[in-house]
Amino acid sequence: MKIEGWLFVFGFIFYTIVGVAYAWLSQDIIGTVLLLFTGMLTLVAGFYILFTSKRVYPRPEDRRDGNIDEADPEYGFFSPHSWWPLAVGFAVFVLVMGFIFAAWMFAFGILLVLLTAAGWLFEYYYGDFAH
Amino acid sequence: MTILAEPPQESPDLIPPREQGEPWEPKSDFRLGRTIVNWLTSTDHKIIGYLYLIQSFVFFLIAGIMALVIRAELTSPGLQFVSLEQYNQLFTMHGTIMLFLFATPLFVGLGNAIMPLQIGAPDVAFPRLNMLGYWLFFFGGLIVSLSLLTPQGAAAFGWTAYAPLSDGVFSPGVGGDMWLMGLTMGGLGTILGAVNFITTIFCMRAPGMTMFRMPIFSWTVFVTSILVLFAFPLLAAALVVLEVDRKFGTVVFAAENGGAILWQHLFWFFGHPEVYILALPFFGVASEILPVFSRKPIFGYKGLVFATIAIAGLSVAVWAHHMYVTGSIYLPFFALMTMLIAVPTGVKFFNWVGTMWKGSLSFETPMLFTLGFMATFLFGGLTGVILASPPLDFPVSDSYFVVAHFHYTVFGTVVFLMFAAYYFWWPKWTGRKLNETLGKWQFWLLFIGFQVTFLIQHWLGVKGMPRRYGEYLPSDGFTEMNVVSTVGSVMVALSTVFFLINVFYTWRKAPMVGVDDPWGFGGSLEWATSCPPPRHNFTSLPKIRSERPAFDLHYPDIEHKTGGEQVVGHFADAVGAPPGDSDASTAEGTDK
Ligand code: HEM
Ligand SMILES: [Cu+2]
Repeated sequence: MKIEGWLFVFGFIFYTIVGVAYAWLSQDIIGTVLLLFTGMLTLVAGFYILFTSKRVYPRPEDRRDGNIDEADPEYGFFSPHSWWPLAVGFAVFVLVMGFIFAAWMFAFGILLVLLTAAGWLFEYYYGDFAH
Repeated sequence: MTILAEPPQESPDLIPPREQGEPWEPKSDFRLGRTIVNWLTSTDHKIIGYLYLIQSFVFFLIAGIMALVIRAELTSPGLQFVSLEQYNQLFTMHGTIMLFLFATPLFVGLGNAIMPLQIGAPDVAFPRLNMLGYWLFFFGGLIVSLSLLTPQGAAAFGWTAYAPLSDGVFSPGVGGDMWLMGLTMGGLGTILGAVNFITTIFCMRAPGMTMFRMPIFSWTVFVTSILVLFAFPLLAAALVVLEVDRKFGTVVFAAENGGAILWQHLFWFFGHPEVYILALPFFGVASEILPVFSRKPIFGYKGLVFATIAIAGLSVAVWAHHMYVTGSIYLPFFALMTMLIAVPTGVKFFNWVGTMWKGSLSFETPMLFTLGFMATFLFGGLTGVILASPPLDFPVSDSYFVVAHFHYTVFGTVVFLMFAAYYFWWPKWTGRKLNETLGKWQFWLLFIGFQVTFLIQHWLGVKGMPRRYGEYLPSDGFTEMNVVSTVGSVMVALSTVFFLINVFYTWRKAPMVGVDDPWGFGGSLEWATSCPPPRHNFTSLPKIRSERPAFDLHYPDIEHKTGGEQVVGHFADAVGAPPGDSDASTAEGTDK
């Protein structure tokens, strides 16, 4: 995970240097903020990744001699299929159309988003796939 | 088998052992209703990828038809078919759909359909989120499209939506609101896609697939996703704030507060990275195709990776080259940064040419489209360097020279390499190769048609024809050149018809390829599984000891000149097995 983390940290260094140089040369506040904030975004991600990589054992995918059978057999759970993405997507559609056209529809959209998001979250907590 | 959700000991006979090339899924009886439900509720990255690809192609056709209407209108002076207001809507929707609803989703679609296979993952990290991203794009695109049906028509302020033209006074009508909110929604979907790609690449690579063994295409998907995270949240914020300006009368982008320049800064801080979001993954496609048809490993793998990172890094610091003529930016900074980008881009060209150098080239359709891209994009890059220089830009800014430039770059990458990718990976996705003869017809029609359409627009621009104008005078002297351009655009349209015929013909007539690697020299992991791949992509994975694990698997006795160290054990395992015959499962571990 080290390479991934350093990539982001490099972004932080690069955008900070460019941002400072830009601020000094152009005296333009908008672009300076944009550049420095981009740098901060990469810092947050890079810091998190490097921090995590310190605490995990080098993973098989980080080692040049990793073997296929070293992968964790408990690979994780993959949803086989689900109606909820469509439901949430449609709820957001209603919400956005409501924002444009009518307040009542917007309110209804909020309700729909909440309901479908709840359905999404709890999909695997009951019924056939509970675990 | 370890890559599946279930621990293998619980389901030892879940997947029967597979002969090389044998499709994994048994032919089942096809039921339309069942298939539709399966696709609508799918969480399989491949199906989601296909949905993206199909949807984006539909948008390509819609926006292409708009382009034909634009071209028809411009063929002769004055107004023929459309009013000036309709013309404004046409070029706005053409640009918007091409960039946001065709090219961007095409990246997400290709990333989904290919990247997990290339890194040896069974799926993406967040399958349901992946599908939500698709639905946000679908419904967001629907909102943008529906705006065409509103009484005052669609947005007409150009795909750049410059303030104050785009505010509630100059652009009243609900079309603008639908444009802003629909794109926000679609952008949200793109962000989810990017998060998903990054997490997948970080956490789900197969053992041995280090970052520096990842295929170039996967690298570009990764770097592009980071660019998406820089650019799209900013776009969403800017669009929503503009919408609030329009709806609730706030004045963030009001001209008297300097809002015009603020909008341009925000928009182009998104907009320039966006054009590289469109370019980089397609550079990745070229980097996958060239080695296969040159029968050589990619030349300068690391150089390509670092060039990708450098292009992405620099692309965030050049945005205001779109604002030269505003007179309120610091020109030298942006001119310098923009020209710097030419360096890593040149490195890429160097590597691609190096890959072909002394290779044993063959010119199947994917290779033709890739070469067509190289010729076209190179030219677009050269005019780009011209435009990057402020004194040269001033006379041609907002003229047809610019229209020609960006079509050479964006059409050259996105459209040419989209077709290259389709011809290249069609057998992987469907099990059937697209027809070569039709493909070659399509390529030559597209290539010649494209050059005829857009080359001449450089001269139109130099002669003074402005961008975004629906009419001109006979005395302007633009007529002849516009006729040529329109003739070219008809050829481009015709070439697309060839593609559609090809898809239909291949679906009905073409035989199944029946091997894992129909091109014969594939290097990355997608060529080490069946065509089409099973639900979770691999029944077994080969050992990964270089950048070309599938090549190592199929040609165990060929020694590498480049690309990773050889591991003796791998050699010993495979010695004696004739190429293409080695069983993928030999590389699997024995003691689980
Ligand atoms: C089918 C082939 C195509 C033709 C014949 C075509 C034609 C045109 C023309 C004539 C214009 C200028 C309209 C004007 O300024 O008055 C234009 C603008 C534009 N095109 Fe295309 N185009 C094609 C494909 C594409 C593709 C594939 C993309 C991007 C992926 C694209 C992106 C754009 C953009 C962003 C604009 C600027 C719109 C604006 O000014 O707001 N075009 N196109
Ligand atoms: Cu730019």
